[in-house]
Amino acid sequence: MTSRLYAALSAARHCAPGCSEKDEVWRSGKVRLYRYRSISPTPSAVPLLIVYALVNRPYMMDLEPERSLIRGLLSRGLDVYLIDWGYPDGADRFTTLEDYLEGQLAGCVDEILKARGLDALNLLGVCQGGVFSLCFAALHPERVRNLITMVTPVDFHTSTDLLSKWARKIDVEAWVGQANVSGDVLNQLFLALMPFRLSHQKYVDLLRGEVDRARIENFMRIERWIYDSPDQAGAAFREFVVWFYQQNRLVRGGLAIGGRSVDLSTLELPILNLIGTRDHLVPPASSAALRGLTRSSDFTTLELDLGHIGMYVSARAQRQVPPAIADWLAAR
Amino acid sequence: MAADAWRQWAAFAALFNPTADPSPLGTFRRSPAAFAPFFDAEQFAAAARAFHQSGEDSQTAAAAFGDFLRDQFGGALDGMWGGAASGGSAAAAEEAPALGPAREQQERLQRAAAAWRRLDHAQRRLKRLWSDALGEAARVFVSRLGAPAAPPTAEALYGLYDAWIDCAEEAYARMAHGEAFGATLADALKAASDWRDESAASIEHWAKWLDWPTRREINTLSLRVRALEEQQRATRRERETPARPAAKTHKTAAKKLRGRGKR
Repeated sequence: MTSRLYAALSAARHCAPGCSEKDEVWRSGKVRLYRYRSISPTPSAVPLLIVYALVNRPYMMDLEPERSLIRGLLSRGLDVYLIDWGYPDGADRFTTLEDYLEGQLAGCVDEILKARGLDALNLLGVCQGGVFSLCFAALHPERVRNLITMVTPVDFHTSTDLLSKWARKIDVEAWVGQANVSGDVLNQLFLALMPFRLSHQKYVDLLRGEVDRARIENFMRIERWIYDSPDQAGAAFREFVVWFYQQNRLVRGGLAIGGRSVDLSTLELPILNLIGTRDHLVPPASSAALRGLTRSSDFTTLELDLGHIGMYVSARAQRQVPPAIADWLAAR
Repeated sequence: MAADAWRQWAAFAALFNPTADPSPLGTFRRSPAAFAPFFDAEQFAAAARAFHQSGEDSQTAAAAFGDFLRDQFGGALDGMWGGAASGGSAAAAEEAPALGPAREQQERLQRAAAAWRRLDHAQRRLKRLWSDALGEAARVFVSRLGAPAAPPTAEALYGLYDAWIDCAEEAYARMAHGEAFGATLADALKAASDWRDESAASIEHWAKWLDWPTRREINTLSLRVRALEEQQRATRRERETPARPAAKTHKTAAKKLRGRGKR
Protein backbone atom coordinates (compact mmCIF):
# COMPACT_ATOMS: atom_id res chain seq x y z
CA MET A 1 0.00 0.00 0.00
CA THR A 2 2.78 2.41 0.96
CA SER A 3 4.70 1.88 -2.26
CA ARG A 4 1.48 2.31 -4.24
CA LEU A 5 0.80 5.56 -2.41
CA TYR A 6 4.33 6.76 -2.99
CA ALA A 7 4.04 5.86 -6.67
CA ALA A 8 0.68 7.63 -6.93
CA LEU A 9 2.12 10.77 -5.34
CA SER A 10 5.10 10.59 -7.60
CA ALA A 11 2.92 10.15 -10.68
CA ALA A 12 0.73 13.06 -9.62
CA ARG A 13 3.57 15.47 -8.99
CA HIS A 14 3.15 17.17 -12.35
CA CYS A 15 -0.64 17.41 -12.20
CA ALA A 16 -1.51 20.82 -13.50
CA PRO A 17 -4.44 22.73 -12.11
CA GLY A 18 -7.05 24.26 -14.39
CA CYS A 19 -9.58 22.46 -16.49
CA SER A 20 -11.93 24.91 -18.20
CA GLU A 21 -11.12 26.53 -21.50
CA LYS A 22 -10.57 30.25 -21.42
CA ASP A 23 -9.33 33.11 -23.56
CA GLU A 24 -7.29 36.11 -22.57
CA VAL A 25 -9.39 39.12 -23.49
CA TRP A 26 -7.41 41.99 -21.93
CA ARG A 27 -4.12 42.65 -20.24
CA SER A 28 -2.47 45.51 -18.45
CA GLY A 29 1.03 45.08 -17.10
CA LYS A 30 1.04 41.73 -15.32
CA VAL A 31 -2.73 41.57 -14.99
CA ARG A 32 -4.69 39.31 -17.33
CA LEU A 33 -8.44 39.19 -17.82
CA TYR A 34 -9.81 35.83 -18.94
CA ARG A 35 -13.20 34.88 -20.30
CA TYR A 36 -14.19 31.26 -19.88
CA ARG A 37 -15.73 29.51 -22.83
CA SER A 38 -19.37 28.79 -22.35
CA ILE A 39 -20.44 25.18 -21.91
CA SER A 40 -24.10 26.05 -21.71
CA PRO A 41 -26.38 26.50 -24.74
CA THR A 42 -27.92 29.62 -23.16
CA PRO A 43 -25.30 31.73 -21.45
CA SER A 44 -26.52 34.54 -19.27
CA ALA A 45 -26.61 38.06 -20.65
CA VAL A 46 -24.93 39.69 -17.66
CA PRO A 47 -21.34 38.59 -17.17
CA LEU A 48 -19.92 37.57 -13.83
CA LEU A 49 -16.44 38.85 -13.03
CA ILE A 50 -14.52 36.89 -10.40
CA VAL A 51 -12.12 38.99 -8.36
CA TYR A 52 -9.67 36.76 -6.57
CA ALA A 53 -7.24 37.66 -3.77
CA LEU A 54 -3.70 38.87 -4.39
CA VAL A 55 -2.17 36.38 -1.98
CA ASN A 56 -2.71 33.16 -3.92
CA ARG A 57 -3.26 32.16 -7.51
CA PRO A 58 -6.79 32.19 -8.90
CA TYR A 59 -6.60 28.76 -10.56
CA MET A 60 -7.99 27.37 -7.32
CA MET A 61 -11.38 28.40 -8.70
CA ASP A 62 -10.93 25.93 -11.55
CA LEU A 63 -8.75 23.22 -10.05
CA GLU A 64 -10.03 20.12 -11.84
CA PRO A 65 -13.27 19.03 -13.53
CA GLU A 66 -14.90 17.61 -10.42
CA ARG A 67 -13.73 20.47 -8.23
CA SER A 68 -14.18 23.63 -10.15
CA LEU A 69 -16.38 26.45 -8.97
CA ILE A 70 -15.97 28.05 -12.39
CA ARG A 71 -17.09 24.91 -14.19
CA GLY A 72 -20.10 24.72 -11.91
CA LEU A 73 -21.01 28.30 -12.77
CA LEU A 74 -20.46 27.76 -16.50
CA SER A 75 -22.63 24.66 -16.50
CA ARG A 76 -25.42 26.76 -15.02
CA GLY A 77 -25.22 29.19 -17.88
CA LEU A 78 -23.16 31.97 -16.33
CA ASP A 79 -20.76 33.97 -18.46
CA VAL A 80 -17.62 33.94 -16.35
CA TYR A 81 -14.63 36.28 -16.41
CA LEU A 82 -11.64 36.04 -14.08
CA ILE A 83 -8.86 38.45 -13.14
CA ASP A 84 -5.37 37.02 -12.79
CA TRP A 85 -3.27 39.56 -10.91
CA GLY A 86 -0.01 37.87 -11.91
CA TYR A 87 3.22 37.70 -9.93
CA PRO A 88 4.41 41.13 -8.77
CA ASP A 89 8.16 41.65 -8.89
CA GLY A 90 10.51 44.36 -7.74
CA ALA A 91 9.19 46.78 -10.34
CA ASP A 92 5.75 46.63 -8.70
CA ARG A 93 6.82 47.61 -5.20
CA PHE A 94 5.14 51.01 -5.42
CA THR A 95 1.86 49.66 -6.77
CA THR A 96 -0.92 50.82 -4.48
CA LEU A 97 -4.45 49.68 -3.74
CA GLU A 98 -5.61 52.56 -5.89
CA ASP A 99 -3.65 51.07 -8.80
CA TYR A 100 -5.26 47.68 -8.24
CA LEU A 101 -8.78 49.02 -7.81
CA GLU A 102 -9.01 52.11 -9.99
CA GLY A 103 -6.46 50.97 -12.54
CA GLN A 104 -6.60 47.24 -13.01
CA LEU A 105 -9.96 46.16 -11.63
CA ALA A 106 -11.66 49.19 -13.19
CA GLY A 107 -9.84 48.44 -16.45
CA CYS A 108 -11.17 44.86 -16.47
CA VAL A 109 -14.70 46.04 -15.74
CA ASP A 110 -14.54 48.71 -18.46
CA GLU A 111 -13.25 46.19 -20.96
CA ILE A 112 -16.09 43.76 -20.26
CA LEU A 113 -18.77 46.44 -20.31
CA LYS A 114 -17.43 47.91 -23.54
CA ALA A 115 -17.17 44.52 -25.23
CA ARG A 116 -20.65 43.51 -24.16
CA GLY A 117 -22.36 46.85 -24.58
CA LEU A 118 -23.56 46.88 -20.99
CA ASP A 119 -23.71 49.44 -18.20
CA ALA A 120 -23.13 47.05 -15.31
CA LEU A 121 -21.98 43.52 -14.51
CA ASN A 122 -22.07 41.07 -11.60
CA LEU A 123 -19.06 40.85 -9.30
CA LEU A 124 -17.94 37.82 -7.31
CA GLY A 125 -15.18 38.69 -4.85
CA VAL A 126 -13.25 35.98 -3.07
CA CYS A 127 -11.52 36.64 0.27
CA GLN A 128 -9.33 39.73 -0.23
CA GLY A 129 -10.92 39.98 -3.68
CA GLY A 130 -14.22 40.37 -1.84
CA VAL A 131 -12.82 43.40 -0.04
CA PHE A 132 -11.74 44.81 -3.40
CA SER A 133 -15.20 44.11 -4.83
CA LEU A 134 -16.89 45.88 -1.92
CA CYS A 135 -14.65 48.90 -2.39
CA PHE A 136 -15.19 48.93 -6.14
CA ALA A 137 -18.97 48.67 -5.77
CA ALA A 138 -18.91 51.56 -3.31
CA LEU A 139 -16.77 53.66 -5.63
CA HIS A 140 -18.64 52.75 -8.83
CA PRO A 141 -22.17 51.66 -7.91
CA GLU A 142 -23.38 52.29 -11.46
CA ARG A 143 -21.07 49.60 -12.84
CA VAL A 144 -22.05 46.75 -10.48
CA ARG A 145 -25.45 45.13 -10.79
CA ASN A 146 -25.19 42.39 -8.16
CA LEU A 147 -22.42 41.67 -5.69
CA ILE A 148 -21.40 38.30 -4.32
CA THR A 149 -18.85 38.15 -1.54
CA MET A 150 -17.30 34.81 -0.67
CA VAL A 151 -15.27 34.15 2.52
CA THR A 152 -14.69 37.90 2.64
CA PRO A 153 -13.30 39.62 5.73
CA VAL A 154 -15.22 42.79 6.60
CA ASP A 155 -14.81 43.31 10.32
CA PHE A 156 -11.09 42.74 10.88
CA HIS A 157 -11.29 43.02 14.65
CA THR A 158 -13.43 40.05 15.64
CA SER A 159 -12.26 38.17 18.71
CA THR A 160 -11.30 34.91 16.97
CA ASP A 161 -9.29 36.51 14.16
CA LEU A 162 -5.79 35.29 14.94
CA LEU A 163 -4.22 36.77 11.82
CA SER A 164 -5.62 40.17 12.74
CA LYS A 165 -4.35 39.89 16.31
CA TRP A 166 -0.86 39.35 14.97
CA ALA A 167 -1.18 41.98 12.24
CA ARG A 168 -2.26 44.64 14.72
CA LYS A 169 0.98 44.30 16.65
CA ILE A 170 3.29 44.31 13.67
CA ASP A 171 5.21 47.39 12.59
CA VAL A 172 4.20 47.03 8.99
CA GLU A 173 6.12 50.13 7.86
CA ALA A 174 9.34 48.55 9.07
CA TRP A 175 8.44 45.12 7.70
CA VAL A 176 7.66 46.31 4.19
CA GLY A 177 10.13 49.18 3.99
CA GLN A 178 10.29 49.96 0.28
CA ALA A 179 10.29 46.33 -0.79
CA ASN A 180 7.73 43.71 -1.75
CA VAL A 181 6.58 41.20 0.83
CA SER A 182 7.66 37.64 0.27
CA GLY A 183 4.82 35.27 -0.57
CA ASP A 184 6.71 32.49 1.18
CA VAL A 185 6.80 34.43 4.44
CA LEU A 186 3.08 35.12 4.21
CA ASN A 187 2.50 31.45 3.56
CA GLN A 188 4.32 30.61 6.77
CA LEU A 189 2.05 33.01 8.62
CA PHE A 190 -1.05 31.36 7.16
CA LEU A 191 0.23 27.88 8.01
CA ALA A 192 1.09 29.07 11.51
CA LEU A 193 -2.60 29.67 12.16
CA MET A 194 -3.01 25.88 12.57
CA PRO A 195 0.47 24.43 12.25
CA PHE A 196 -0.28 20.86 13.27
CA ARG A 197 -3.29 20.37 11.06
CA LEU A 198 -1.88 22.22 8.06
CA SER A 199 1.70 21.02 8.22
CA HIS A 200 1.46 17.55 9.76
CA GLN A 201 -1.95 15.93 9.96
CA LYS A 202 -2.95 16.52 6.36
CA TYR A 203 0.04 14.47 5.16
CA VAL A 204 -0.64 11.63 7.57
CA ASP A 205 -4.24 11.65 6.36
CA LEU A 206 -2.90 10.50 3.01
CA LEU A 207 -2.22 7.11 4.57
CA ARG A 208 -5.85 6.56 5.48
CA GLY A 209 -8.04 4.56 3.20
CA GLU A 210 -7.29 3.14 -0.18
CA VAL A 211 -4.90 4.69 -2.65
CA ASP A 212 -7.27 6.58 -4.86
CA ARG A 213 -5.71 8.24 -7.87
CA ALA A 214 -8.25 11.06 -8.07
CA ARG A 215 -7.78 11.86 -4.37
CA ILE A 216 -4.00 11.90 -4.70
CA GLU A 217 -4.09 14.11 -7.79
CA ASN A 218 -6.45 16.50 -6.05
CA PHE A 219 -4.14 16.58 -3.05
CA MET A 220 -1.13 17.37 -5.22
CA ARG A 221 -2.95 20.13 -7.09
CA ILE A 222 -3.98 21.78 -3.83
CA GLU A 223 -0.46 21.31 -2.47
CA ARG A 224 0.91 23.07 -5.50
CA TRP A 225 -1.59 25.91 -5.09
CA ILE A 226 -0.85 26.38 -1.40
CA TYR A 227 2.84 26.92 -2.03
CA ASP A 228 2.37 28.99 -5.18
CA SER A 229 2.25 32.30 -3.35
CA PRO A 230 3.06 35.46 -5.28
CA ASP A 231 5.07 38.15 -3.56
CA GLN A 232 2.94 41.11 -2.59
CA ALA A 233 3.45 44.58 -4.02
CA GLY A 234 4.88 46.43 -1.02
CA ALA A 235 2.83 49.63 -1.08
CA ALA A 236 -0.51 47.86 -1.61
CA PHE A 237 0.32 45.32 1.09
CA ARG A 238 1.18 48.06 3.56
CA GLU A 239 -2.07 49.89 2.80
CA PHE A 240 -4.11 46.71 3.13
CA VAL A 241 -2.63 45.74 6.50
CA VAL A 242 -2.83 49.25 7.97
CA TRP A 243 -6.22 50.28 6.63
CA PHE A 244 -8.04 46.99 7.02
CA TYR A 245 -6.27 44.80 9.60
CA GLN A 246 -5.00 47.51 11.90
CA GLN A 247 -7.51 50.34 11.51
CA ASN A 248 -10.56 48.30 10.47
CA ARG A 249 -11.70 51.11 8.21
CA LEU A 250 -14.46 49.14 6.48
CA VAL A 251 -16.26 49.08 9.81
CA ARG A 252 -14.97 52.20 11.53
CA GLY A 253 -15.00 54.39 8.43
CA GLY A 254 -12.38 56.69 7.04
CA LEU A 255 -11.40 54.50 4.10
CA ALA A 256 -10.48 56.35 0.92
CA ILE A 257 -9.08 54.96 -2.30
CA GLY A 258 -7.47 57.45 -4.65
CA GLY A 259 -8.82 60.29 -2.57
CA ARG A 260 -12.42 59.05 -2.85
CA SER A 261 -14.31 57.89 0.19
CA VAL A 262 -15.33 54.23 0.38
CA ASP A 263 -18.44 54.00 2.51
CA LEU A 264 -20.21 50.65 2.66
CA SER A 265 -23.38 52.34 3.86
CA THR A 266 -23.81 53.71 0.35
CA LEU A 267 -24.22 50.19 -1.07
CA GLU A 268 -27.79 49.60 -2.14
CA LEU A 269 -27.31 46.81 -4.68
CA PRO A 270 -28.34 43.17 -4.09
CA ILE A 271 -25.68 41.31 -2.10
CA LEU A 272 -25.12 37.61 -1.55
CA ASN A 273 -22.65 36.92 1.26
CA LEU A 274 -21.22 33.38 1.35
CA ILE A 275 -19.69 32.41 4.69
CA GLY A 276 -17.77 29.27 5.63
CA THR A 277 -18.69 28.40 9.19
CA ARG A 278 -15.42 26.44 9.58
CA ASP A 279 -13.23 29.15 8.03
CA HIS A 280 -9.99 29.40 10.04
CA LEU A 281 -8.64 32.32 8.01
CA VAL A 282 -11.67 34.61 7.83
CA PRO A 283 -13.81 34.08 10.93
CA PRO A 284 -17.51 33.79 10.07
CA ALA A 285 -18.29 36.78 12.28
CA SER A 286 -15.91 38.90 10.24
CA SER A 287 -17.86 38.19 7.02
CA ALA A 288 -21.24 38.32 8.70
CA ALA A 289 -20.61 41.91 9.79
CA LEU A 290 -21.31 43.05 6.25
CA ARG A 291 -25.06 42.77 6.72
CA GLY A 292 -25.14 45.58 9.24
CA LEU A 293 -22.98 47.92 7.20
CA THR A 294 -24.80 48.32 3.89
CA ARG A 295 -28.12 49.85 2.91
CA SER A 296 -29.00 46.94 0.64
CA SER A 297 -32.63 45.92 1.01
CA ASP A 298 -31.85 42.73 -0.90
CA PHE A 299 -29.20 41.11 1.27
CA THR A 300 -28.78 37.34 1.47
CA THR A 301 -26.41 35.55 3.81
CA LEU A 302 -25.62 31.95 3.06
CA GLU A 303 -23.69 30.07 5.74
CA LEU A 304 -22.18 26.80 4.62
CA ASP A 305 -20.51 24.18 6.76
CA LEU A 306 -17.21 24.61 4.94
CA GLY A 307 -13.72 25.89 5.55
CA HIS A 308 -11.92 28.68 3.71
CA ILE A 309 -10.44 26.52 0.98
CA GLY A 310 -13.25 23.99 1.10
CA MET A 311 -15.55 26.77 -0.06
CA TYR A 312 -14.23 26.39 -3.59
CA VAL A 313 -12.67 22.94 -3.81
CA SER A 314 -14.55 20.55 -1.55
CA ALA A 315 -16.99 18.07 -3.02
CA ARG A 316 -19.76 19.59 -0.91
CA ALA A 317 -18.98 23.05 -2.23
CA GLN A 318 -19.41 21.79 -5.79
CA ARG A 319 -22.91 20.66 -4.91
CA GLN A 320 -23.90 23.76 -2.98
CA VAL A 321 -22.05 26.88 -4.07
CA PRO A 322 -22.52 27.13 -7.88
CA PRO A 323 -26.27 26.44 -7.72
CA ALA A 324 -26.67 28.91 -4.87
CA ILE A 325 -24.92 31.64 -6.85
CA ALA A 326 -26.64 30.82 -10.13
CA ASP A 327 -30.12 30.69 -8.58
CA TRP A 328 -29.56 33.91 -6.67
CA LEU A 329 -28.38 35.72 -9.80
CA ALA A 330 -31.17 34.25 -11.93
CA ALA A 331 -33.71 35.77 -9.56
CA ARG A 332 -32.18 39.22 -10.14
CA MET B 1 -3.85 -5.03 12.35
CA ALA B 2 -2.07 -2.47 14.52
CA ALA B 3 1.28 -3.91 13.61
CA ASP B 4 0.27 -3.46 9.98
CA ALA B 5 -0.51 0.19 10.62
CA TRP B 6 2.83 0.74 12.33
CA ARG B 7 4.68 -1.03 9.57
CA GLN B 8 2.75 1.00 7.03
CA TRP B 9 3.64 4.32 8.65
CA ALA B 10 7.24 3.29 9.07
CA ALA B 11 7.52 2.08 5.50
CA PHE B 12 5.95 5.20 4.13
CA ALA B 13 8.11 7.48 6.26
CA ALA B 14 11.16 5.52 5.08
CA LEU B 15 10.29 6.28 1.47
CA PHE B 16 10.56 9.97 2.31
CA ASN B 17 13.71 9.43 4.31
CA PRO B 18 15.89 7.52 1.88
CA THR B 19 19.31 8.07 3.41
CA ALA B 20 18.44 7.29 7.00
CA ASP B 21 20.19 4.65 9.11
CA PRO B 22 18.06 2.28 11.13
CA SER B 23 18.06 3.15 14.81
CA PRO B 24 18.46 0.63 17.63
CA LEU B 25 14.73 1.01 18.36
CA GLY B 26 13.82 -0.52 15.05
CA THR B 27 12.71 2.80 13.63
CA PHE B 28 15.23 5.04 11.95
CA ARG B 29 16.95 8.30 12.52
CA ARG B 30 15.85 11.30 10.56
CA SER B 31 18.07 12.32 7.70
CA PRO B 32 18.27 15.99 6.76
CA ALA B 33 16.22 15.25 3.64
CA ALA B 34 13.40 13.54 5.51
CA PHE B 35 9.93 15.01 5.26
CA ALA B 36 9.11 16.01 8.84
CA PRO B 37 5.37 15.17 9.02
CA PHE B 38 5.94 11.55 7.97
CA PHE B 39 8.98 11.16 10.13
CA ASP B 40 7.16 12.62 13.14
CA ALA B 41 4.14 10.39 12.52
CA GLU B 42 6.34 7.30 12.33
CA GLN B 43 8.02 8.23 15.58
CA PHE B 44 4.61 8.85 17.10
CA ALA B 45 3.49 5.37 16.05
CA ALA B 46 6.60 3.86 17.60
CA ALA B 47 5.98 5.73 20.86
CA ALA B 48 2.34 4.61 20.86
CA ARG B 49 3.52 1.01 20.42
CA ALA B 50 5.97 1.42 23.28
CA PHE B 51 3.19 2.84 25.43
CA HIS B 52 0.84 -0.03 24.70
CA GLN B 53 3.47 -2.73 25.09
CA SER B 54 5.14 -1.38 28.21
CA GLY B 55 4.83 -3.48 31.29
CA GLU B 56 4.96 -0.32 33.41
CA ASP B 57 2.07 1.17 35.29
CA SER B 58 -0.14 3.41 33.20
CA GLN B 59 1.03 6.67 34.79
CA THR B 60 4.69 6.00 34.11
CA ALA B 61 3.98 4.85 30.59
CA ALA B 62 1.80 7.90 29.91
CA ALA B 63 4.42 10.25 31.34
CA ALA B 64 7.04 8.70 29.06
CA PHE B 65 4.70 9.16 26.11
CA GLY B 66 4.19 12.81 27.10
CA ASP B 67 7.93 13.44 27.38
CA PHE B 68 8.43 11.90 23.98
CA LEU B 69 5.86 14.27 22.46
CA ARG B 70 7.56 17.32 23.95
CA ASP B 71 10.91 16.21 22.55
CA GLN B 72 9.64 15.12 19.17
CA PHE B 73 7.57 18.20 18.39
CA GLY B 74 9.78 20.75 20.13
CA GLY B 75 11.18 21.93 16.83
CA ALA B 76 7.86 21.91 15.00
CA LEU B 77 7.81 25.69 14.68
CA ASP B 78 11.43 26.07 13.63
CA GLY B 79 10.57 25.95 9.97
CA MET B 80 8.04 28.71 10.47
CA TRP B 81 9.86 31.20 12.60
CA GLY B 82 13.40 30.08 11.91
CA GLY B 83 15.75 28.58 14.46
CA ALA B 84 17.22 30.88 17.04
CA ALA B 85 19.53 33.39 15.44
CA SER B 86 23.07 32.57 16.38
CA GLY B 87 26.32 34.45 16.23
CA GLY B 88 25.90 38.18 16.44
CA SER B 89 28.22 40.33 18.43
CA ALA B 90 28.76 41.04 22.06
CA ALA B 91 26.72 43.86 23.50
CA ALA B 92 29.95 45.62 24.45
CA ALA B 93 30.96 45.94 20.78
CA GLU B 94 27.58 47.49 20.06
CA GLU B 95 28.31 50.20 22.63
CA ALA B 96 31.79 51.00 21.32
CA PRO B 97 32.05 54.67 20.35
CA ALA B 98 32.34 55.13 16.60
CA LEU B 99 35.13 57.51 15.71
CA GLY B 100 36.94 58.58 12.59
CA PRO B 101 36.10 58.39 8.90
CA ALA B 102 34.47 54.95 9.20
CA ARG B 103 32.14 55.97 12.03
CA GLU B 104 28.96 55.84 9.91
CA GLN B 105 29.78 52.36 8.73
CA GLN B 106 30.65 51.24 12.26
CA GLU B 107 27.39 52.58 13.66
CA ARG B 108 25.47 50.85 10.93
CA LEU B 109 27.17 47.56 11.75
CA GLN B 110 26.42 48.13 15.43
CA ARG B 111 22.76 48.72 14.66
CA ALA B 112 22.70 45.54 12.53
CA ALA B 113 24.32 43.56 15.35
CA ALA B 114 21.84 44.96 17.87
CA ALA B 115 18.95 44.00 15.58
CA TRP B 116 20.36 40.49 15.24
CA ARG B 117 20.58 40.20 19.00
CA ARG B 118 16.96 41.35 19.36
CA LEU B 119 15.95 38.77 16.76
CA ASP B 120 17.80 36.08 18.68
CA HIS B 121 16.03 37.05 21.90
CA ALA B 122 12.63 37.13 20.24
CA GLN B 123 13.15 33.71 18.70
CA ARG B 124 14.19 32.30 22.04
CA ARG B 125 11.06 33.75 23.64
CA LEU B 126 8.95 32.19 20.89
CA LYS B 127 10.59 28.84 21.50
CA ARG B 128 9.97 29.14 25.21
CA LEU B 129 6.30 29.95 24.68
CA TRP B 130 6.06 27.05 22.28
CA SER B 131 7.71 24.71 24.74
CA ASP B 132 5.19 25.73 27.42
CA ALA B 133 2.28 25.13 25.03
CA LEU B 134 3.71 21.78 24.02
CA GLY B 135 4.07 20.79 27.66
CA GLU B 136 0.43 21.68 28.24
CA ALA B 137 -0.62 19.74 25.14
CA ALA B 138 1.32 16.66 26.27
CA ARG B 139 -0.20 16.88 29.77
CA VAL B 140 -3.73 17.04 28.39
CA PHE B 141 -3.00 14.24 25.94
CA VAL B 142 -1.65 11.81 28.51
CA SER B 143 -4.49 12.63 30.87
CA ARG B 144 -6.86 11.42 28.18
CA LEU B 145 -4.96 8.20 27.52
CA GLY B 146 -6.49 5.04 28.86
CA ALA B 147 -4.42 2.31 30.43
CA PRO B 148 -1.96 0.54 28.12
CA ALA B 149 -3.80 -2.37 26.63
CA ALA B 150 -3.48 -4.94 23.93
CA PRO B 151 -2.21 -3.62 20.62
CA PRO B 152 -4.79 -1.15 19.27
CA THR B 153 -6.36 -1.42 15.89
CA ALA B 154 -5.09 0.66 13.00
CA GLU B 155 -8.14 2.86 13.41
CA ALA B 156 -7.28 3.35 17.08
CA LEU B 157 -3.75 4.37 16.16
CA TYR B 158 -5.09 7.04 13.84
CA GLY B 159 -7.47 8.06 16.60
CA LEU B 160 -4.55 8.45 18.98
CA TYR B 161 -2.67 10.55 16.46
CA ASP B 162 -5.73 12.75 15.84
CA ALA B 163 -6.18 13.18 19.58
CA TRP B 164 -2.59 14.37 19.87
CA ILE B 165 -3.05 16.83 17.00
CA ASP B 166 -6.23 18.15 18.66
CA CYS B 167 -4.40 18.65 21.96
CA ALA B 168 -1.46 20.32 20.24
CA GLU B 169 -3.68 22.67 18.22
CA GLU B 170 -5.76 23.63 21.24
CA ALA B 171 -2.69 24.45 23.31
CA TYR B 172 -1.09 26.27 20.39
CA ALA B 173 -4.24 28.33 19.78
CA ARG B 174 -4.37 29.42 23.42
CA MET B 175 -0.77 30.53 23.20
CA ALA B 176 -1.04 32.11 19.73
CA HIS B 177 -4.06 34.21 20.74
CA GLY B 178 -2.23 35.45 23.79
CA GLU B 179 -0.67 38.86 24.19
CA ALA B 180 2.85 37.53 24.72
CA PHE B 181 3.03 35.49 21.53
CA GLY B 182 1.71 38.31 19.33
CA ALA B 183 4.08 40.83 20.89
CA THR B 184 7.07 38.51 20.54
CA LEU B 185 6.21 37.70 16.96
CA ALA B 186 6.03 41.44 16.23
CA ASP B 187 9.40 41.95 17.96
CA ALA B 188 10.97 39.21 15.85
CA LEU B 189 9.62 40.69 12.64
CA LYS B 190 10.74 44.20 13.57
CA ALA B 191 14.22 43.01 14.49
CA ALA B 192 14.52 41.02 11.27
CA SER B 193 13.35 44.07 9.27
CA ASP B 194 15.85 46.35 11.01
CA TRP B 195 18.67 43.87 10.44
CA ARG B 196 17.73 43.63 6.74
CA ASP B 197 17.66 47.42 6.34
CA GLU B 198 20.98 48.00 8.09
CA SER B 199 22.62 45.17 6.17
CA ALA B 200 21.28 46.49 2.89
CA ALA B 201 22.56 49.97 3.71
CA SER B 202 26.02 48.54 4.43
CA ILE B 203 26.08 46.67 1.16
CA GLU B 204 24.88 49.75 -0.72
CA HIS B 205 27.67 51.75 0.87
CA TRP B 206 30.23 49.47 -0.79
CA ALA B 207 28.23 49.21 -3.99
CA LYS B 208 28.60 52.97 -4.42
CA TRP B 209 32.38 52.66 -4.13
CA LEU B 210 32.29 50.09 -6.91
CA ASP B 211 29.85 52.20 -8.94
CA TRP B 212 27.27 49.46 -8.94
CA PRO B 213 23.58 50.32 -9.13
CA THR B 214 21.86 50.36 -5.76
CA ARG B 215 18.29 49.58 -4.73
CA ARG B 216 17.82 53.19 -3.67
CA GLU B 217 18.80 54.33 -7.14
CA ILE B 218 16.42 51.86 -8.79
CA ASN B 219 13.62 52.95 -6.48
CA THR B 220 14.18 56.57 -7.42
CA LEU B 221 13.99 55.66 -11.10
CA SER B 222 10.87 53.54 -10.50
CA LEU B 223 9.16 56.46 -8.79
CA ARG B 224 10.10 58.76 -11.64
CA VAL B 225 8.65 56.32 -14.20
CA ARG B 226 5.53 56.04 -12.08
CA ALA B 227 5.13 59.81 -11.93
CA LEU B 228 5.56 60.02 -15.70
CA GLU B 229 2.96 57.31 -16.24
CA GLU B 230 0.51 59.13 -14.00
CA GLN B 231 1.16 62.35 -15.89
CA GLN B 232 0.61 60.54 -19.19
CA ARG B 233 -2.70 59.07 -17.96
CA ALA B 234 -3.86 62.48 -16.78
CA THR B 235 -3.01 64.03 -20.15
CA ARG B 236 -4.85 61.24 -21.98
CA ARG B 237 -7.91 61.68 -19.76
CA GLU B 238 -7.87 65.40 -20.43
CA ARG B 239 -7.71 64.80 -24.19
CA GLU B 240 -10.47 62.19 -24.11
CA THR B 241 -12.79 64.30 -21.97
CA PRO B 242 -15.25 66.26 -24.12
CA ALA B 243 -15.42 70.02 -23.81
CA ARG B 244 -15.97 70.94 -20.20
CA PRO B 245 -19.54 71.51 -19.08
CA ALA B 246 -18.42 74.76 -17.47
CA ALA B 247 -17.26 76.06 -20.85
CA LYS B 248 -20.55 75.02 -22.46
CA THR B 249 -22.50 76.75 -19.77
CA HIS B 250 -20.43 79.82 -20.30
CA LYS B 251 -21.08 79.68 -24.05
CA THR B 252 -24.79 79.06 -23.53
CA ALA B 253 -24.96 81.89 -21.10
CA ALA B 254 -23.18 84.13 -23.61
CA LYS B 255 -25.63 83.10 -26.35
CA LYS B 256 -28.53 83.82 -24.06
CA LEU B 257 -27.11 87.22 -23.33
CA ARG B 258 -26.67 87.85 -27.03
CA GLY B 259 -30.25 86.68 -27.60
CA ARG B 260 -31.53 89.03 -24.97
CA GLY B 261 -29.61 91.79 -26.63
CA LYS B 262 -31.27 91.04 -29.97
CA ARG B 263 -34.67 91.14 -28.45
